[in-house]
Amino acid sequence: MTMICVRVRAFARYRELFGERVEVTVPAPATVRDVVMAVGQSNPIGMGELVDSSGRVKPSVIILVNRERVTGSHREDHPVAGGDEVAIYPPVAGG
Amino acid sequence: MVPGTIRITREDIDPGKILQEAQSSTIGALVSFLGVVRDDGIERMDLEAYEEVAEEELARIREQAIARFAVSHVDIIHRVGMLSVGDHIVMIVVGASHRKAAFQGCEFIIDRIKESVPIWKKEYTTDGSRWVAGEHG
Repeated sequence: MTMICVRVRAFARYRELFGERVEVTVPAPATVRDVVMAVGQSNPIGMGELVDSSGRVKPSVIILVNRERVTGSHREDHPVAGGDEVAIYPPVAGG
Repeated sequence: MVPGTIRITREDIDPGKILQEAQSSTIGALVSFLGVVRDDGIERMDLEAYEEVAEEELARIREQAIARFAVSHVDIIHRVGMLSVGDHIVMIVVGASHRKAAFQGCEFIIDRIKESVPIWKKEYTTDGSRWVAGEHG
Protein backbone atom coordinates (compact mmCIF):
# COMPACT_ATOMS: atom_id res chain seq x y z
CA MET A 1 0.00 0.00 0.00
CA THR A 2 1.34 3.40 -0.98
CA MET A 3 1.16 6.02 1.73
CA ILE A 4 1.14 9.75 1.05
CA CYS A 5 1.93 12.69 3.26
CA VAL A 6 -0.52 15.61 3.31
CA ARG A 7 0.08 18.98 4.94
CA VAL A 8 -2.85 20.25 6.99
CA ARG A 9 -3.45 23.75 8.30
CA ALA A 10 -6.10 24.37 10.93
CA PHE A 11 -7.46 27.70 12.06
CA ALA A 12 -9.28 29.23 15.02
CA ARG A 13 -10.91 26.57 17.25
CA TYR A 14 -9.56 23.76 15.07
CA ARG A 15 -6.02 25.12 15.42
CA GLU A 16 -6.39 24.89 19.19
CA LEU A 17 -7.70 21.33 18.95
CA PHE A 18 -5.37 19.87 16.32
CA GLY A 19 -2.41 22.22 15.89
CA GLU A 20 -1.67 24.98 13.42
CA ARG A 21 0.30 22.92 10.90
CA VAL A 22 0.27 19.15 10.99
CA GLU A 23 1.22 16.42 8.57
CA VAL A 24 -0.87 13.29 8.21
CA THR A 25 0.01 10.09 6.41
CA VAL A 26 -2.86 8.35 4.63
CA PRO A 27 -3.11 5.51 2.10
CA ALA A 28 -3.32 6.47 -1.57
CA PRO A 29 -5.64 7.15 -3.29
CA ALA A 30 -6.79 9.51 -0.55
CA THR A 31 -9.83 11.74 -0.16
CA VAL A 32 -10.75 14.75 1.93
CA ARG A 33 -12.57 12.36 4.28
CA ASP A 34 -9.39 10.33 4.89
CA VAL A 35 -7.44 13.46 5.72
CA VAL A 36 -10.09 14.89 8.06
CA MET A 37 -10.39 11.54 9.88
CA ALA A 38 -6.61 11.34 10.26
CA VAL A 39 -6.52 14.85 11.72
CA GLY A 40 -9.39 14.08 14.09
CA GLN A 41 -7.71 10.95 15.41
CA SER A 42 -5.08 13.08 17.12
CA ASN A 43 -7.73 14.43 19.48
CA PRO A 44 -10.82 12.36 20.37
CA ILE A 45 -12.63 15.41 21.75
CA GLY A 46 -11.85 17.35 18.62
CA MET A 47 -13.04 14.53 16.38
CA GLY A 48 -16.61 15.34 17.41
CA GLU A 49 -16.15 18.86 16.05
CA LEU A 50 -15.25 17.54 12.60
CA VAL A 51 -17.33 14.41 12.12
CA ASP A 52 -20.95 13.58 13.03
CA SER A 53 -22.15 10.36 14.66
CA SER A 54 -22.59 8.65 11.27
CA GLY A 55 -19.01 9.38 10.29
CA ARG A 56 -19.68 12.23 7.87
CA VAL A 57 -17.68 15.42 7.86
CA LYS A 58 -19.92 18.09 9.40
CA PRO A 59 -21.24 20.74 6.98
CA SER A 60 -19.92 23.45 9.33
CA VAL A 61 -16.33 22.36 8.65
CA ILE A 62 -14.93 24.44 5.81
CA ILE A 63 -12.37 22.61 3.68
CA LEU A 64 -9.86 23.95 1.20
CA VAL A 65 -7.46 21.91 -0.90
CA ASN A 66 -4.51 23.92 -2.18
CA ARG A 67 -6.36 27.11 -1.18
CA GLU A 68 -9.44 26.25 -3.23
CA ARG A 69 -12.72 25.72 -1.39
CA VAL A 70 -14.15 22.22 -1.73
CA THR A 71 -17.97 22.29 -1.68
CA GLY A 72 -20.96 20.21 -2.66
CA SER A 73 -22.59 17.06 -1.36
CA HIS A 74 -19.67 14.89 -2.51
CA ARG A 75 -16.92 17.08 -1.12
CA GLU A 76 -15.73 14.31 1.21
CA ASP A 77 -14.76 12.29 -1.86
CA HIS A 78 -12.60 15.06 -3.31
CA PRO A 79 -9.18 13.55 -4.08
CA VAL A 80 -6.08 14.58 -2.15
CA ALA A 81 -2.58 13.91 -3.46
CA GLY A 82 0.77 13.70 -1.70
CA GLY A 83 2.14 17.17 -0.95
CA ASP A 84 -1.28 18.83 -1.14
CA GLU A 85 -2.19 21.44 1.45
CA VAL A 86 -5.56 20.87 3.09
CA ALA A 87 -7.01 23.62 5.29
CA ILE A 88 -9.86 23.17 7.76
CA TYR A 89 -11.66 25.93 9.59
CA PRO A 90 -14.96 26.83 11.27
CA PRO A 91 -17.41 29.47 9.92
CA VAL A 92 -15.71 32.83 9.51
CA ALA A 93 -16.32 35.85 11.76
CA GLY A 94 -14.26 38.73 10.39
CA GLY A 95 -15.21 42.30 9.61
CA MET B 1 -7.61 49.78 -13.22
CA VAL B 2 -9.34 51.17 -10.14
CA PRO B 3 -6.87 52.54 -7.58
CA GLY B 4 -6.80 51.43 -3.95
CA THR B 5 -5.28 48.73 -1.79
CA ILE B 6 -5.93 45.45 -0.04
CA ARG B 7 -4.07 44.90 3.21
CA ILE B 8 -4.09 42.52 6.16
CA THR B 9 -1.99 44.12 8.83
CA ARG B 10 -0.84 43.92 12.43
CA GLU B 11 -0.47 47.70 12.55
CA ASP B 12 -3.11 50.25 13.50
CA ILE B 13 -5.29 51.77 10.80
CA ASP B 14 -5.11 55.57 10.38
CA PRO B 15 -8.56 56.47 8.99
CA GLY B 16 -7.72 60.11 8.24
CA LYS B 17 -4.63 59.19 6.26
CA ILE B 18 -6.43 56.53 4.24
CA LEU B 19 -9.31 58.89 3.40
CA GLN B 20 -6.89 61.64 2.45
CA GLU B 21 -4.98 59.36 0.13
CA ALA B 22 -8.18 58.13 -1.53
CA GLN B 23 -9.15 61.59 -2.74
CA SER B 24 -8.81 62.52 -6.39
CA SER B 25 -10.24 65.08 -8.77
CA THR B 26 -12.72 62.59 -10.26
CA ILE B 27 -14.19 61.43 -6.94
CA GLY B 28 -17.24 63.29 -5.66
CA ALA B 29 -18.12 60.89 -2.83
CA LEU B 30 -16.00 58.90 -0.42
CA VAL B 31 -17.84 56.45 1.82
CA SER B 32 -15.95 54.70 4.59
CA PHE B 33 -16.78 51.89 6.95
CA LEU B 34 -14.74 51.57 10.12
CA GLY B 35 -15.25 48.48 12.28
CA VAL B 36 -14.27 49.03 15.92
CA VAL B 37 -13.88 46.68 18.90
CA ARG B 38 -17.02 47.15 20.98
CA ASP B 39 -17.11 46.82 24.77
CA ASP B 40 -19.26 43.73 25.26
CA GLY B 41 -17.68 43.09 28.62
CA ILE B 42 -14.48 41.98 26.91
CA GLU B 43 -10.93 42.95 27.75
CA ARG B 44 -9.37 42.25 24.37
CA MET B 45 -9.88 40.43 21.13
CA ASP B 46 -7.48 38.31 19.11
CA LEU B 47 -8.01 38.28 15.35
CA GLU B 48 -6.69 35.35 13.37
CA ALA B 49 -6.63 34.97 9.59
CA TYR B 50 -5.69 32.42 6.95
CA GLU B 51 -3.77 35.29 5.47
CA GLU B 52 -2.96 34.00 1.98
CA VAL B 53 -6.56 32.99 1.31
CA ALA B 54 -8.00 36.04 3.10
CA GLU B 55 -6.01 38.35 0.81
CA GLU B 56 -7.16 36.48 -2.28
CA GLU B 57 -10.76 36.62 -1.09
CA LEU B 58 -10.56 40.34 -0.30
CA ALA B 59 -9.18 40.95 -3.80
CA ARG B 60 -12.05 38.92 -5.28
CA ILE B 61 -14.64 40.93 -3.30
CA ARG B 62 -12.97 44.16 -4.38
CA GLU B 63 -13.19 43.13 -8.04
CA GLN B 64 -16.85 42.15 -7.62
CA ALA B 65 -17.65 45.57 -6.14
CA ILE B 66 -15.85 47.30 -9.01
CA ALA B 67 -17.72 45.20 -11.59
CA ARG B 68 -21.08 45.78 -9.94
CA PHE B 69 -21.01 49.46 -8.97
CA ALA B 70 -19.68 52.61 -10.63
CA VAL B 71 -16.84 53.04 -8.15
CA SER B 72 -13.46 54.56 -8.86
CA HIS B 73 -11.45 53.84 -5.68
CA VAL B 74 -11.55 50.90 -3.23
CA ASP B 75 -9.40 50.29 -0.14
CA ILE B 76 -9.91 47.31 2.18
CA ILE B 77 -7.69 47.07 5.26
CA HIS B 78 -8.22 44.42 7.93
CA ARG B 79 -6.35 44.06 11.20
CA VAL B 80 -5.13 40.83 12.73
CA GLY B 81 -3.54 40.25 16.14
CA MET B 82 -4.52 41.36 19.63
CA LEU B 83 -6.86 44.35 19.82
CA SER B 84 -8.41 46.31 22.70
CA VAL B 85 -11.79 48.00 23.04
CA GLY B 86 -11.87 50.99 20.71
CA ASP B 87 -9.23 49.63 18.33
CA HIS B 88 -9.94 49.59 14.62
CA ILE B 89 -10.75 46.18 13.12
CA VAL B 90 -11.46 46.91 9.48
CA MET B 91 -11.62 49.94 7.23
CA ILE B 92 -13.25 50.10 3.83
CA VAL B 93 -13.07 53.21 1.67
CA VAL B 94 -15.05 53.44 -1.54
CA GLY B 95 -14.81 56.43 -3.85
CA ALA B 96 -17.17 57.22 -6.71
CA SER B 97 -18.36 60.15 -8.78
CA HIS B 98 -21.65 60.07 -6.91
CA ARG B 99 -22.70 59.02 -3.42
CA LYS B 100 -25.09 56.20 -4.28
CA ALA B 101 -22.50 53.95 -5.89
CA ALA B 102 -20.07 54.66 -3.05
CA PHE B 103 -22.62 53.71 -0.36
CA GLN B 104 -23.72 50.60 -2.22
CA GLY B 105 -20.17 49.48 -2.93
CA CYS B 106 -19.13 49.93 0.69
CA GLU B 107 -22.08 47.98 2.07
CA PHE B 108 -21.58 45.20 -0.47
CA ILE B 109 -17.94 44.81 0.58
CA ILE B 110 -18.48 44.62 4.35
CA ASP B 111 -21.37 42.16 3.89
CA ARG B 112 -19.21 39.90 1.70
CA ILE B 113 -16.27 40.09 4.11
CA LYS B 114 -18.47 38.76 6.89
CA GLU B 115 -19.63 35.90 4.67
CA SER B 116 -16.48 34.53 3.15
CA VAL B 117 -13.12 35.90 4.28
CA PRO B 118 -11.28 33.44 6.58
CA ILE B 119 -10.85 35.64 9.65
CA TRP B 120 -11.89 34.73 13.20
CA LYS B 121 -12.20 36.60 16.50
CA LYS B 122 -11.47 35.29 19.93
CA GLU B 123 -12.76 37.42 22.78
CA TYR B 124 -11.06 37.53 26.18
CA THR B 125 -13.08 38.41 29.27
CA THR B 126 -12.20 38.38 32.95
CA ASP B 127 -13.71 34.86 33.05
CA GLY B 128 -11.86 33.36 30.15
CA SER B 129 -12.11 33.34 26.39
CA ARG B 130 -14.56 32.44 23.64
CA TRP B 131 -14.57 32.31 19.84
CA VAL B 132 -17.07 34.62 18.19
CA ALA B 133 -19.51 32.32 16.39
CA GLY B 134 -19.38 32.67 12.64
CA GLU B 135 -22.67 32.61 10.79
CA HIS B 136 -21.31 31.82 7.38
CA GLY B 137 -19.12 29.22 5.78
